[in-house]
Amino acid sequence: MEFNPALPIYLQVMTMIKRDIVTGELMPGGKLPSVRDMAVQFAVNPNTVSRVYRELESEGICYTKRGMGTFVTEEPEVVGRLKAEMAGELMDQFLEGMKRLGMSGEEVIQLVKERTGC
Amino acid sequence: MGKLMKYELRKTMFSKAVLLVITGLVEILYLAGVFLKWDKGLGFGIMGLVLCASVGIFYIGIESLLIWHRDLNTKQSYMLFLTPKNSFQILGAKIVENGLSLFLAGVFFALLAVADWSIGIIYIGGLEEFISVLQDFARSFNVNLEIPVWDILIAFFGCIATWLLMVVTGYFAILLSASVLAGKKFSGFVSFVLYMVLMWADGLILDLVPQLEDFKLQFGWIIAVSFLLSAVYYLISGWIMERKLSV
Amino acid sequence: MLECREITKTYGRKTAVDHVSLQIQPGKIYAMLGPNGSGKTTLMKMAVGLVKPTSGGFYYNGQPVGQNSRREIAYMSTEPYFYSWMTVGDVGKYYKDFFEDFSEKKYEGLLKRMELTPDLKAKALSSGMMAKLKIAVTMARNARVYLLDEPLNGIDLLARDDIIASVIEAAEQDVSLVISSHLVDELERVADEAIFMKESRLVDVCGVEELRMTKGKSVVERYREIYGHGGEQTWEN
Repeated sequence: MEFNPALPIYLQVMTMIKRDIVTGELMPGGKLPSVRDMAVQFAVNPNTVSRVYRELESEGICYTKRGMGTFVTEEPEVVGRLKAEMAGELMDQFLEGMKRLGMSGEEVIQLVKERTGC
Repeated sequence: MGKLMKYELRKTMFSKAVLLVITGLVEILYLAGVFLKWDKGLGFGIMGLVLCASVGIFYIGIESLLIWHRDLNTKQSYMLFLTPKNSFQILGAKIVENGLSLFLAGVFFALLAVADWSIGIIYIGGLEEFISVLQDFARSFNVNLEIPVWDILIAFFGCIATWLLMVVTGYFAILLSASVLAGKKFSGFVSFVLYMVLMWADGLILDLVPQLEDFKLQFGWIIAVSFLLSAVYYLISGWIMERKLSV
Repeated sequence: MLECREITKTYGRKTAVDHVSLQIQPGKIYAMLGPNGSGKTTLMKMAVGLVKPTSGGFYYNGQPVGQNSRREIAYMSTEPYFYSWMTVGDVGKYYKDFFEDFSEKKYEGLLKRMELTPDLKAKALSSGMMAKLKIAVTMARNARVYLLDEPLNGIDLLARDDIIASVIEAAEQDVSLVISSHLVDELERVADEAIFMKESRLVDVCGVEELRMTKGKSVVERYREIYGHGGEQTWEN
């Protein structure tokens, strides 16, 4: 797994976990691996993973049961929120790229329609 | 320190085993000479055993110097100096192991000599004369041999003690070339010259032991002075190792 | 905590380590970076007392390092150093004889992961296998500080993953790890802090994530700034 050198590693690991939650790879209420296992799996520093878990918790995406581990939240709106958030980010990147190419909003819509067949 | 000594013994096990095997072969030659009345076997056996004892004891000391050199100057040194042991323990284990090896080799060859000698006396005289020989020798043994045997033994162990002193002096010289003189030009040559000077000094100090009427007492003194000097070298070496030795 | 204060080592006219002061905190993984000959090895050797400093010193929990600190500090050298008569099993027995924190069970597990068997002769191992044996026997200790000198040197990519995994597993809250390497990118994601050595001196110590957050820069880029080339291109010999 390659990381973007300009971004903090913990943010990149967070994005991966969020993506897994949105795609259903990680189910609501599902248990996340221990910090150590996760660190080995991603071959990253355990302190980075601890930080990832802390941040996910503060964003309400995960919660920790004492002595049991860290779990994905069961609140349904969280997945929706994550999905919207990630879709928004992708859209931002996409639109910015298009803008740089000098595409107008209408041209972009036209292209998207052609591509998706809508 | 027991653990350290165990591994020092392990390092010298091979050559000690070889010495034991060669001694065993020569012993067979000697016994064949005795039982078969084969004079060549007997002669070469005796020569061989004397050679085994002297060269063997000499080599046990030399080998321990070679190992010390390797333990200071190759990567193998990490094996000793990474352990939670201090320099005094590391060097102490070597000296004690070597001292014990020399002493036990001495005891072994002394016992072997006594045994071989007795066997020789009994069998060469022939079985018929066994009883009379035994009677004769029992008498002469008590009267004539008791004192020389002890004298020979104490002189023998006196030699071993002075040999140990030479080995410990060698440890000191090798240590100097690896620590204080490390990286300097001619450090090997300088430490060799130093070794010669120290051996000469050792000799001067040992000569301070006066010629005594009592042979045993004189050698007792020589053994004591050798041990004392060895202890002095040991303490100085340990002190240098703790402060100056980089491996 | 392990620290050195103004430590210097000279060999004749050559200076190997020049007035370095450094603190190694518990719970952190340090990547010690720099080209060959920049003083990394000498600094590590002084931390365990294998090399005596010319001036300054290393301290462990406030005491000068020596016999006692070696109970809790595990050092792995770049070069092989086992006795020539030893098998992989003998190496484990030796460590068990001398280090109270050595776990035979952990050693067995690590050997299995590294695909080594106890009956192998240490002398006959390839350099890659020897590197694995060194890491296995070192990581089988439950030490408080691990100093690993070039553990990834001369090791194929698959084995590197095994070694990195065993390093990550050892990282506990009260444990510090210092890993030296000139392969910068291998260590970047594993380390909390990067220590940069150049020409016997300590140039910089910086947090890996902090560098990315405040400067948008990776350790590899910082390395290039300091040394004028990327660490990934410098190979031993």
